[in-house]
Amino acid sequence: MCNDPDVAPEIPDNQLLVSRRDAMIASVAVVAASHFAASARAQTGPRQAALPVSVDQALIIRTSINGQTLEIRIDARTSLLDLLRERLALTGAKKGCDHGQCGACTVHIDGRRVASCLTLAGKVDGREVLTIEGLAGGDTLHPMQQAFIDHDALQCGYCTPGQIMAAVACVAEGNATSRERIREYMSGNICRCGAYVGIVAAIEDAAAKMGRG
Amino acid sequence: MSTTAFPNRARVDALAKVRGEAKFAADLVLPRTLYAMTVPATIAKGSLSSLPVEAALRVPGVVRVLTPEDFPAPPPYSEDGPPPPPTLETIIAYRGQPVALVIAETLEAAIEGAEVIRPTYVAEAFACVMESAGAQRQPADEVAFGDAPAALSGAAATVESTYDSPTQHHNPLELIATVAVWEDGALLIHESTQASSLVKGAVAGALRLDPARVHVRGATMGGSFGQKAVQRQTALVARAAILTGRPVKLVQPRAQIFHTATYRARTRHQIRIGADADGKIVGVQHHVEQEQSPNGYFAVSEYHRDVIRMYGIRNYLGTGADIRLDRQDSGYMRGTHPQPAFFAFESAIDELAHKTNRDPVEFRLANDTRVDPQNGHPLSSRFLNECLREGARRFGWSRRSPVPGSMTASDGSLVGWGMACGIYQSATTPAIATLRIDARGHTRFAISGHEMGQGMRTAIASVLIQDLDIDPERLEIALGDTRAAPQHMTAGSWGTNSVVPAAMQAAQRMRAAVADLLDGRQVSGNLHRKLASIRRPFLQVEVTTVGPGQDQAALETLRQGGFAVAEAVYPEFSTFSYSAHFLEVRIEPRTRRIRVPRVVSIADCGRVISPRTAHSQVYGGVIWGLSHALREATEIDPRYGGYLNEDLADYVVPVNADIGEIEIGLIDQPDPLANPAGVKGLGQVSMVGISAAVANAVFHATGRRIRELPIRIEHLL
Repeated sequence: MCNDPDVAPEIPDNQLLVSRRDAMIASVAVVAASHFAASARAQTGPRQAALPVSVDQALIIRTSINGQTLEIRIDARTSLLDLLRERLALTGAKKGCDHGQCGACTVHIDGRRVASCLTLAGKVDGREVLTIEGLAGGDTLHPMQQAFIDHDALQCGYCTPGQIMAAVACVAEGNATSRERIREYMSGNICRCGAYVGIVAAIEDAAAKMGRG
Repeated sequence: MSTTAFPNRARVDALAKVRGEAKFAADLVLPRTLYAMTVPATIAKGSLSSLPVEAALRVPGVVRVLTPEDFPAPPPYSEDGPPPPPTLETIIAYRGQPVALVIAETLEAAIEGAEVIRPTYVAEAFACVMESAGAQRQPADEVAFGDAPAALSGAAATVESTYDSPTQHHNPLELIATVAVWEDGALLIHESTQASSLVKGAVAGALRLDPARVHVRGATMGGSFGQKAVQRQTALVARAAILTGRPVKLVQPRAQIFHTATYRARTRHQIRIGADADGKIVGVQHHVEQEQSPNGYFAVSEYHRDVIRMYGIRNYLGTGADIRLDRQDSGYMRGTHPQPAFFAFESAIDELAHKTNRDPVEFRLANDTRVDPQNGHPLSSRFLNECLREGARRFGWSRRSPVPGSMTASDGSLVGWGMACGIYQSATTPAIATLRIDARGHTRFAISGHEMGQGMRTAIASVLIQDLDIDPERLEIALGDTRAAPQHMTAGSWGTNSVVPAAMQAAQRMRAAVADLLDGRQVSGNLHRKLASIRRPFLQVEVTTVGPGQDQAALETLRQGGFAVAEAVYPEFSTFSYSAHFLEVRIEPRTRRIRVPRVVSIADCGRVISPRTAHSQVYGGVIWGLSHALREATEIDPRYGGYLNEDLADYVVPVNADIGEIEIGLIDQPDPLANPAGVKGLGQVSMVGISAAVANAVFHATGRRIRELPIRIEHLL
């Protein structure tokens, strides 16, 4: 790849990332096409998730995101959060601090909750990522999502995807056994609106339904 | 006014929010988007001497760097309103001021480009804290009635103290984000803002664009609390979109937001208050000083507005001053002026009650008023004493041992029970709304308003679903969009009381219009089916509402995107909301760590339209109050200007483990005069007074009166 953005032919064609599904298909197509770099440029096929600028240190990672396998070429500096949001249009995980201080970007990697803003995208090579978009089974909400609605465990909703992903993990870890323990193990997720009372109630409720806690 | 209580409905946008589908401004992913990053000034005052951009342009992916030369000169002075925020300038007025904007193909490239730009400056002497040499003290307008000094000289008991409240930053969890699109000679701005019309005016003014070609779409907001009005970054991003012809996105890093967005000014309140032998307050002298930017307008005199209406005080002398500093503008932050003022005032009330050996609840009950003490007009509704009695009952206040330090827990913790009251004006704005119901099952209501998480959309839906037989699943409520309806800033607890009466009137007019159409025919089904049956594709009504004392001029101001608030001291009556808070602190014997295991908070906000979101708003207000009392303070660096704890690890806000049990009660009695819905504001009054209740409880636990926030372990060692 050329290092000069002015002549890198990929630049003008990065298209709207319409949906998660399209992005997945697109990115796989890009990697496939990259084996035939010259002809790839001439293709009219989807190039949505192409890295929009060439960089010295690019990586190709293969990962599973919400159950779909994805192979994608990334800028090695990219955080998992920015990969999800800016290239895959999975904008459920939020950027509240970019420093691992607020929890709004919480996702699961191999079932463990992590701050995706502190996780380099390269680190999920070979791993399974679950985001809020993959939590529900189609139209059927996860019990934690339903409990957040039932207990109004949110106001603005910005921290909510991170709270829910953290809460699901909190129950799975066996840390939802009392209100005190829930409060302690949910303290990595700030809710500035102050919905903590509802969040604790929702987790107690969902933990019972999830059969854990 | 609504004579019956509203049912408890789920928040209408909760489903999208729990699925991660709610679209906040930064969630917009458009084709060919460029990413922007600002370069902040590293001096507190002076000017740019050079701004080399070549290094940034060499970063792969960087497309362009905007500098002051890329922007038109500021618009000429206008009496119509405040000038738009400056764009990029060579004069540096505060540390962290943006001096350049890097635009790149990726976020990573934009960040790298911004980091390699090293401007040079000519620095000047500056003043950045109230104690700085060179800080300019400017006296403010007096607020006075009666003769407070005379009344106080004859008082049976007086107390006089000084109370300090720190600088604070809003820190909504959502970062300030702007996406600007320039297409066919028109600018479309997607931004998280509670003032889309003001953003439109500011961008048009700063960039010399025809306002008719600037549209602002306020996205779902990830909290605001007063922060997200008009941002300096918006015009920068808009200019970048115009110059590149591509969508441009800027998500400002939190550390930069500390320096560019507004904040709650640090204040110092000196209060002298006295009572007669019967425990009646005879007079108050209240002097306030606050930090202020060189040209800031956040008015000192407003610290008195709510204080003078809390109790039946006949003599008041309010004075104040701005301390002008080389900082960015301060501004409105949740609880606004009353928040620090009531830490001071309700602490002073507690001190006076203690000095006169009176129970603090009884003392307050005895100082009730039925009229506005400043002008003698009636208060349209006031259920403060009901809040006090209900709160005391639920909390178990009668079991309190009045002597400070007399209650301890089994683990040796000192226990303190404290209480305080809050008040906040219930202002109103005009509204212009359109309600359209179609035969295919869709309903759309468009109005001025911004959803920040407070539940405005749910309150509107509650009214429309209750009053109209429509499909609630397909009810769209368009808010914050300058293309959908004229927009007014949403702030100051005037949201629900401004939009709900318009929704009620629209529903009423719609029912009348349908009845006219049917003309006596009996047609079955909901309104959509009825329209389909009579082959009407849709029916649309428009309504306008104004606040008490307002007329057509207010509507015209709204249409122009201006500021048209009817302040709550209305021509014939005054309308305020009230709260009473009761809480327990426990102070660990060795560490002196302060915990708040339980709070009871009761509010009078008139008729409650959306019980569920109203309760959540009060939970939030209580937690904000606890945060004000025990956590939040911005640390200013006197050596270099700017802020030291500019992230969420060092700017401490409550986490889940900091919060105990909170019980909320709402009086839910409609206000008979303020508006046809009987609604009063709630968002601010829910937090006003909490911080004083904490300080009062700490006094009850320890006998030590802390007059400086936040209260920390070191205050109690």
